[in-house]
Amino acid sequence: MNVLESAAPNSRPVPVRWSQNPKADSVSSEVARVSAELRETISRLFGRSLHIRTIDTGSCASCESEIRLLTAPHYDLHRLGLFFTPAPRHADCLLVTGPGALAMDHALQATYEAMPDPKIVVTVGACALGGVFVPDRFTHGGVGRLLPIDVVIPGCPPSPLALLQGLLVGVDRLHASINPDRFRFSGASRP
Amino acid sequence: MTGPLTTEPRRVDLEAVLRELPGSPEPTTQPGALGRRLELAQLKRAAQLLGASRGARLADMFVLPSAPAEAGGDGGLTLHLVFGLDQDRRYLLLQAPLSGRSYAAISEVAPACFVEECEIFELWGIKPTGGHPLNRVLLAPGADSAPPLRSGSPGAPRSRRGVPTEVRAPHVVRGEAFEFPVGPVRGVGQESLYMGLVTTGEEVLDAYLAWFHKHRGIEHQVVGMDPEMALFRVERCEGPGAVGNGLAFARAVESASGIVVPAGAERTRLVALELERLYNHAAAMAALCQSTGLGVGQAQVEIILENFLRLNAAVFGHRYLFGVVAVGGVRRGCDGATLSEGLSALCASVRQIGSALLGTNSFVDRLEAAGVVDAEAAARLGLVGPVARGSGADLDVRRDHPWSAGDSHSGLEVATAVNGDVLSRLQVMLQEVDESERLIHRWLQSGELIDVADALPTPAGPAPERGERRGLGWCESVRGEALSWVQLDHDGKVAGARLRPASVRNWRAFDDALRSRNVFTDVAIIEASFWLTVAGFAR
Repeated sequence: MNVLESAAPNSRPVPVRWSQNPKADSVSSEVARVSAELRETISRLFGRSLHIRTIDTGSCASCESEIRLLTAPHYDLHRLGLFFTPAPRHADCLLVTGPGALAMDHALQATYEAMPDPKIVVTVGACALGGVFVPDRFTHGGVGRLLPIDVVIPGCPPSPLALLQGLLVGVDRLHASINPDRFRFSGASRP
Repeated sequence: MTGPLTTEPRRVDLEAVLRELPGSPEPTTQPGALGRRLELAQLKRAAQLLGASRGARLADMFVLPSAPAEAGGDGGLTLHLVFGLDQDRRYLLLQAPLSGRSYAAISEVAPACFVEECEIFELWGIKPTGGHPLNRVLLAPGADSAPPLRSGSPGAPRSRRGVPTEVRAPHVVRGEAFEFPVGPVRGVGQESLYMGLVTTGEEVLDAYLAWFHKHRGIEHQVVGMDPEMALFRVERCEGPGAVGNGLAFARAVESASGIVVPAGAERTRLVALELERLYNHAAAMAALCQSTGLGVGQAQVEIILENFLRLNAAVFGHRYLFGVVAVGGVRRGCDGATLSEGLSALCASVRQIGSALLGTNSFVDRLEAAGVVDAEAAARLGLVGPVARGSGADLDVRRDHPWSAGDSHSGLEVATAVNGDVLSRLQVMLQEVDESERLIHRWLQSGELIDVADALPTPAGPAPERGERRGLGWCESVRGEALSWVQLDHDGKVAGARLRPASVRNWRAFDDALRSRNVFTDVAIIEASFWLTVAGFAR
């Protein structure tokens, strides 16, 4: 069988009876509710276009796995007007995972500085929050001291649903930080 | 070497090898592992003898502080070599106290341990004499001014300033080739990793990898902790391998303390281990589809992956199965009814998509002859897991190193493939899905699993002895053999730990795989087929 054939809309190739159990249904309805809210906010505030860059400062790779699943069919971030971008210069939002390994200091600062204003920083997971590692000679024990944090998404790792909810909070923060005065040219003080 | 050259593994004539090594038996020999204490000068000879017998595989090498009570220890350091005698179904642990700040390079006779020699130099300042120039592995250049690992210990402080001259700067490229830097900040949702791809334009001629951006020093952080607390960190050294690494660590602690895990608890955590294998193989398939630009296939597999993770959460309470394994058993039981209901449908979906993918020529064409690791390289570099099995190595710790006498893996069919390319590794993964499903169903039917409603059984066995104790733990994690070595002090706290996730082994073949006539777009495909984590390597 060809894979394209198997993807035809009416031949359902993934018969997953388990997903019909009540627990899964409650997750799905919650995803739908948060998604609708996020879609409405982003569409109103950003014209369906908010771009996200991710950076890993020493995570265990679970947070990355959950972030990747945001684009999977169950969550499908793109339909909400949120997009991942490989370039920090196109990004409005930085998702930071990991406890802030010392060796990532330079890359983290460079990524943050390359992002245009206004921007928000969202930390993902317990490590970034400071809940797993203590400051020592290998890590900062969290990214709170390294960057101005706007939103914290707890969880080890936070599920994609938690990430969606965190992004919803972040979008509101970004909206609050947008002030028309910041875009007015004010003479020599601007670099 | 004497005798006919053969690629068939033979049984090691262990007795003959040990007769040549006038060491004393290590007192903490445990079932399935044999300890031996040697003089430092004999280690290289031992590695040579064992390597020549072709049945011994150098599985790990590390340095830890000697226990104060050890003869010749007096606060110094001890060099450990772990050999897997796979035909003999046991491990051989050779220990030698380090007397100076150097030792004869073992990698000259056993190339598999080159990365470990680099690690030992960076972390402890102990340098191999002879052998190759060392690479940067765990510590970033310039990290040397950090405080020493353990003050007051003669071997430990590292007072080097700047980058030592003997560390090879890996970026000098001659001729028309140039190094194309990728990372450490890479694509979205990818781990930090620096890849220097040496190229003249399209073909990858060579690659330099730098993993040190993610080094968190977990082995050093767990020193002084309770084993249970240390296990929390060990699980977070590699999230998508939390059960495998956690199980190896818990087994090492149990072996050191003489804890006997009840059969039901042991089997329950093996269920978690197989569930981890299943979702990781699905994730690897999704990554393969993504890297080959097969969006439809990717979406299909990601649906399965998400459902596997939700099944994990429904059965064990965590999407990535953190906190299932505990020292002495499990921290919670499993929801067997939900598992047996959900598992078959999901595995059937994997099989269906797998056969659809293997029937899609445009997909298979990208996989064939990409990222080839031949059998000789797999053996030389000491590879483990699906990567080794994809290159024809018939090695599976579940079968070759049963943890206990009543081990539950009887009749396990080890999947292998011979070509060593990306397609072979995918075939191995697909066969392992079947095998994992079969094992879980068998364990479910046995009725011995601990249900989520049951009270957790207490570990049996004699009361833990006082005094310093040591133990080796192992299991076949998703990515291959995971090893763990634990030293406990008088109070039962961790005095020293070595974690060796399978990622530590298999990354060293990644540049070999890249060099086999691949172009830039193959890099992501090969990375997906290895399905390693940087976190596991950098720990």
